[in-house]
Amino acid sequence: MKTSISSLIRCTCIALLVLSLGACANKKNKDQFAGVDGDFVSGTPLPDRPGDGSSFLSDNVDKSRFQPIYFGYDSTDISSSESSKLDEVASLLTSGSSTIIVAGFTDERGTEEYNRSLGERRAQAVRSYLISAGASGSSIQTVSFGEEMPASTGSGEESWGLNRRAEIGVVK
Amino acid sequence: MFRSAVLFFALLVALLSTTVTNAQEPATITVQKGAQLFAHIAGISGSDGASATNILTNDLTLSGAFTVGAADTANFTITGTSSGSSLQGSVVDRSGNSVLEKTYSGDRRQIVHQFADDIVETITGLPGFATTKIAFVANNSGRKEIYTADYDGANVRQLTRDRSISVSPALSPDGSTLLYTGYQSGYADIYRIDLGNGARNRIVKSPGTNSGASFAPGGGSFAATLSKDGNPELYLIGLGGGGGRRLTNTRASETSPSFSPDGDEIVYSFDNGGQPQLYRISARGGTGSRISTGFGYCTEPSWSPDGKKIAFNVRSSGNFAVAVLNLGSGSARIATSGSDAEDPIWTRNSRHLYFAQDSALYLLDTQNGKKTRIISGLGKISEPTASR
Repeated sequence: MKTSISSLIRCTCIALLVLSLGACANKKNKDQFAGVDGDFVSGTPLPDRPGDGSSFLSDNVDKSRFQPIYFGYDSTDISSSESSKLDEVASLLTSGSSTIIVAGFTDERGTEEYNRSLGERRAQAVRSYLISAGASGSSIQTVSFGEEMPASTGSGEESWGLNRRAEIGVVK
Repeated sequence: MFRSAVLFFALLVALLSTTVTNAQEPATITVQKGAQLFAHIAGISGSDGASATNILTNDLTLSGAFTVGAADTANFTITGTSSGSSLQGSVVDRSGNSVLEKTYSGDRRQIVHQFADDIVETITGLPGFATTKIAFVANNSGRKEIYTADYDGANVRQLTRDRSISVSPALSPDGSTLLYTGYQSGYADIYRIDLGNGARNRIVKSPGTNSGASFAPGGGSFAATLSKDGNPELYLIGLGGGGGRRLTNTRASETSPSFSPDGDEIVYSFDNGGQPQLYRISARGGTGSRISTGFGYCTEPSWSPDGKKIAFNVRSSGNFAVAVLNLGSGSARIATSGSDAEDPIWTRNSRHLYFAQDSALYLLDTQNGKKTRIISGLGKISEPTASR
């Protein structure tokens, strides 16, 4: 009986401690939450997809207007050599009403689902760069094809380097 | 009424297990030592007896619990009659006591698989997985499409003919429903197929990439990665595609969710600015906590049905391998050899793993390291999934 009472007290103390910690955590999170419904928005939410059904694969999207943006292995960082390409894209977006679709790709190494996520993060990294360069997030859609649709089909760093990319499709 | 039925069932199970234990005391001890049990198929008569014998021999061998061989060394002797949609099977122990006696009806192969699972479960107390259904991606048509098959690679069927990119399949625990990621719209959407009638619906079409669906144990909801918030995050979604609830709130990406067997937790891969690591989070959302594995690059986790292990992909010295983490001891070891083994998925018995390697689908017995090729010749096979 004595043990059960002391364990009850101990449990209560732990419960109170957990509750107070939880309260602290909630308070802290509340400052970070910035989106609707109390969600923490880690990036700029994507706009709805184009209403006319335009996608990176559709004929009314020009994929040759801009050069692909290349990435290092397992990286989503945009290097200085690549950012000048994106400045051209940013000037298109800030000077008019164009809509673009950024498609992210990876090399063939690694598991498929991880690569789909990595490709999406590359596309989102490009989108973030363009937003910080003054473009509106509402004119930039993203999609990831992961390791599908390689630009170069060989195996080896030469091909892999060409496949770790983001491509820009301009909706005509 | 329900309660009394449950009580009756519980009593029945208790009674049966007592009987089996009493009759096979030495056998039970043998299993715990990890040694082989020997089974002898004395003969299955009837018009389909020969094929039933072949299927059953393969089932008992793949189960890892039995060596099928001659009568003199056998712990158990199996006899039966198989014709068309009916199978009568019986198992006796060395003293001639009946261990299992059951009649099955249905598909010719399936009823043999049911008999095999009953043999495994009755004698070892662990579930068999011969009745499991599998699905996977193969590209022999020139495009990645979803295929289904029996657990042993029989009855391979091409499910999708999207002529797009169809990937990331997930079978529901009962095998009745399949979710997958399809690019027909030019974006990555999650589709649901009712395998009973073939009806297909596009259930998640949020902006960005929607992928990596994985069923909750009850089969009524699933977790997946959606990037509509400007970053890949985990969501819990109803089977109709509605009621999406965001589980994670980070600046990095969460992928490949897999539920704990009680459905309370999810293990996933988290790329927090460095190499991806395994994390676990409450299925109600919150903050994930890291699971230490000792490996630098961990993706595609699969939580075992007994809750005790997590299989996952690692990269070590440029090669991809399947590793198994024992949650009790916290130790992880690489379970595969050879080049680029990917996408592990547990079977019902928490002992075997399906994985993709060398363009083929393999089954690995993690207890003895035995590797069996299940399906090949369909181009490149990847991303297997299994029903429970």
